[in-house]
Amino acid sequence: MIKTEGLVKRFDEDTLISYNNIVFEDGKSYVLLGASGCGKSTLLNMLAGVITPSEGAIYFDGVEMSRKSQKQKDRFRIEKIGYIFQDFKLIEEMTVEDNINVLRLEGVKTSAMDDVLGKLGILSKKKKKVKQLSGGERQRVAIARAFVKAPDIILADEPTGNLNYEIGKKVVEEMLKIAKGKTLVAVTHDDRLAPLFDCTIDMNGIASSYSESEVEKNA
Amino acid sequence: MLKFALKNMLTKKVKMILIILSIVISASVAILAYNVAEQVNDGLVNTTSTYDTIVGPAGSSTQLAMNTLFFTDKPPGTISYEYVEKLESDDRVNVVIPFAMGDSYNSSKIVGTKPAFLDGKPLKDGEMFGDVYEAVVGSSVARKYGLSIGDELVTSHGLSENGEKHTANPLKLVGILEETNTAYDNAVFTDIETVWEVHEHHEDEGHDEGHDEHEDGSSEDADAPSSHTFEGEDEEHEEHEEHAEEGTVCAILLKCRTLAYAEEIKKEFASDSNILTITPAEVIREIISNVDLSRKIVYLLCIIILIMNVFVISTVTILNMYDSQKDIALMRLIGIGTGKVNILFLIQNAVIGLISTAISFGVSRLVLSLMSDFVASMGIVLDASKIYPFEWLIMAVVFVISVLPTLICTLHISRKDIIRN
Repeated sequence: MIKTEGLVKRFDEDTLISYNNIVFEDGKSYVLLGASGCGKSTLLNMLAGVITPSEGAIYFDGVEMSRKSQKQKDRFRIEKIGYIFQDFKLIEEMTVEDNINVLRLEGVKTSAMDDVLGKLGILSKKKKKVKQLSGGERQRVAIARAFVKAPDIILADEPTGNLNYEIGKKVVEEMLKIAKGKTLVAVTHDDRLAPLFDCTIDMNGIASSYSESEVEKNA
Repeated sequence: MLKFALKNMLTKKVKMILIILSIVISASVAILAYNVAEQVNDGLVNTTSTYDTIVGPAGSSTQLAMNTLFFTDKPPGTISYEYVEKLESDDRVNVVIPFAMGDSYNSSKIVGTKPAFLDGKPLKDGEMFGDVYEAVVGSSVARKYGLSIGDELVTSHGLSENGEKHTANPLKLVGILEETNTAYDNAVFTDIETVWEVHEHHEDEGHDEGHDEHEDGSSEDADAPSSHTFEGEDEEHEEHEEHAEEGTVCAILLKCRTLAYAEEIKKEFASDSNILTITPAEVIREIISNVDLSRKIVYLLCIIILIMNVFVISTVTILNMYDSQKDIALMRLIGIGTGKVNILFLIQNAVIGLISTAISFGVSRLVLSLMSDFVASMGIVLDASKIYPFEWLIMAVVFVISVLPTLICTLHISRKDIIRN
């Protein structure tokens, strides 16, 4: 179970995002909906340990992770979290296989690669360079990289952001199929995909963006 | 890790090749410059002769020393063989070796002397020359022209390759010297009488006619047919005066019983205006002091090149690293720790450093081999297999400066806020 408490993220500019407490239960899929800039991706990044919250805490099965060292957070991310990035974060010049094998640098076993690629329908592209793939195929590679290590938690930031609705829906369906039994938190701006997930969280009611001047005025 | 590093490098082939090339160019120049300077110096020092005195015709002492010790330059002239006989009967002298030069085999000089001239130079094959027209060649000559025992060497008149061929009097190869990495490797040795005989035949064949014509001036007419026309005839005539004709030698090499006797002999010859006596060690020391200045300039250049290396290699490496920021950020995002990222790029740059250093070394050796012929004409044989400790230091520096900036860069980049990368 993932639980957030009093999360606040301050940015360099005079803005901050404050979040209501959220609980993500094990084995369920969640979709975070909300307008652009409402803090969806920031929340995912904080959950993944990529950025540190300015205030508040994040608990994974009761263990507070957000205040751990970057090294511990990196370790946790590589072992427990599969993160699917909006812009794929793939090495364009490398093959699909190598992009997944990059995980081996941290000792992650990638023996499930063929199985995952097969489930996503891109096993035949294994030896292809990422730059030779279509947008949909790249997104599937990003998903495969997240799933190949059999993580407990999957975070997906706009997994269909670069795809049209039809392809996007298919990708999400495939993703949910593989993620069955795992905790999945996805961010999307396309509310047509929301019914595919177990729970929908409207971030407009959870996160509040302020400028510092507004905070001072309210105080 | 290494496999992934290599794969990652292969995705940037062109960039990697350019980086390696930039390192190779600067590093090989530094290695080469140092090695050549050292080998030239060593070549001079090591040839500081086992002879304590050289007797020759009046003229340049440097020319006499370079000609007799390194077989370079033209002989300064000739002196009568009577001097040899006189010195041979002198109790103060242990060894008297006549030295004559004037002809060549392709580009290699032919030295007319006595077998004792090659004392301490073991034969790899065959035996020492004994009879007239027998010859022993240096290892480079044998290798260069694919010579083996029993081969006939058709020599050319004069020191130019284009000289008239002595086809009627070829030399018979009876021995090949072991490699010495000295000027001896590039020369042909025969008995002094061979030199005389060849020239006697040469004169008989009509070369002296040309001389006569010159003397009476008739051959000044450009249309007048020459007895033997060949390229560089004027040069040849000039050289002709330096040939050791029968009863003459170009120099006499002496080993005296004591240095005091050597000095005595030197003083005795001082009164003879036709003779020059030199102490090779002194002349070579003078040459070395001049070369030493050049060596210091080369060292200075080496240091400048190395400093430039540091800048070039560091800049190239740093630019490469900053170019890899995206990859580093990507790896960090998916959870690869800073340590692993640092090791990955360290391995990559170490591989680049190793490849570059190895190629630089190879290039320097290749150029050394190619330069060998050119430098051989100056009497110094460059040994491509000779490595000086300082060269290892240059290579180590090149390796370190191709790796060190990586470490600093990756540490800097990978410690930045992940999301900001």
